[in-house]
Amino acid sequence: MWSVIKSVLAALIGVQSDFQRQQDFSSGKPTTFILVAILVTLIFVLLLMVVANMAAR
Amino acid sequence: MHSPWRWLLPISFISTAAQAQSSGWNMPVGVTDISRDIYGLHMTIFWICVVIGLIVFGVMFYSLFRYRHSKGAKPATFHEHTTVEVLWTAIPVLILVGMAVPATATLKNMYDTSEAELDVMIIGQQWRWRYEYLGEDVAFNSSMSTPWEQIRGEEARDEHYLLDVDEPLVLPINRKVRFLMTSDDVIHSWWVPDLAVKQDTIPGFINENWVQINEPGIYRGQCAELCGVNHGFMPVVVHAVEEEEFEIWLAERKEAAEQEAMGVDREWELDELMARGEPVYRAICASCHQADGQGAPPAFPALVNNDQLIDDLDWHIDRILNGVSGTAMPAFRNTLNPVEIAAVVTYTRNAWDSDTGDAIQPAAIAEKIVQ
Repeated sequence: MWSVIKSVLAALIGVQSDFQRQQDFSSGKPTTFILVAILVTLIFVLLLMVVANMAAR
Repeated sequence: MHSPWRWLLPISFISTAAQAQSSGWNMPVGVTDISRDIYGLHMTIFWICVVIGLIVFGVMFYSLFRYRHSKGAKPATFHEHTTVEVLWTAIPVLILVGMAVPATATLKNMYDTSEAELDVMIIGQQWRWRYEYLGEDVAFNSSMSTPWEQIRGEEARDEHYLLDVDEPLVLPINRKVRFLMTSDDVIHSWWVPDLAVKQDTIPGFINENWVQINEPGIYRGQCAELCGVNHGFMPVVVHAVEEEEFEIWLAERKEAAEQEAMGVDREWELDELMARGEPVYRAICASCHQADGQGAPPAFPALVNNDQLIDDLDWHIDRILNGVSGTAMPAFRNTLNPVEIAAVVTYTRNAWDSDTGDAIQPAAIAEKIVQ
């Protein structure tokens, strides 16, 4: 699971090592990545909202 | 600036001190706290860009020279370097966040129009500005005063060519003034660089902005949104004065407005109306219908030898009160007072070759406006 999250975070900033990429493609299921990615994106949006609200105060 | 992020702008202090007087190459430092903040941000970000540029191009040109082919340099062949990639992603993010924090603080301050001590409505019109001091019963139009002879090249241009008006916007210093900005026709933009205000005036919307001017002076600007043929001929002039001077000016304007209102009821002589009408004509009408009344047909009809205008007084007055839809002729029922309308109608019916002898009475116009 941790390696999935790490890969999603890496994708978020667009940096990934070739070794990790090969591993993800040989062992993981696409659905896990998609679900985790959606979740991480939601958390990112919420984070931005919190920051924006803090700035607006 | 009252922002806690001021410490992030150390470089701006140096450059502001060195550049207190505008060189003409850079944006002006301006005369409000906001304009100084904006200038500071601009200089900080400029220097950040300079440093990044020096580092990036320095490394690039050094590498080009040091490892050139003629010295037998062999290229390294590797596919990736995660550490370097993370670094060159993380550093720009940090730089961007570092710039966003003080920029957002300034932006927040710019949008805070609360607790203003004076409200001024700014209305864009083709092609002049109208200023209304809300709650003070003072309102006037501000038209370009550069003579058309200068624009046509028949006279030498003066110092403030295209940047002078008949009636500047007068504002007090050290007081927070809120602007409520809208337009009667198309989108204009009220822009005064020294005040760091550039705000669109949009028909049907009211945009807000504010200034608190620190130094008395005359600040000039222009319309910054293409608004028709005379877009270049609707400058902005702000006259910032000491607070006491402003109070005196405001009281004088109020009294003049009252005098004018009282003048509506009395009988006016033809000469009086002509004298009052000429400056109104020059300020309001001449930009389209020309100082000699010849107009610029077919867009702007001539007023001299215009049979319909001479024969039908009611039609003539109706044009001015209500405008002509689908053309550049605006309605003046709300922007000129009865005395001004009566005077300018009288003027156009008696100036040049038109000698109708009609002396239109302000009282008659006031009646029509009410209808």
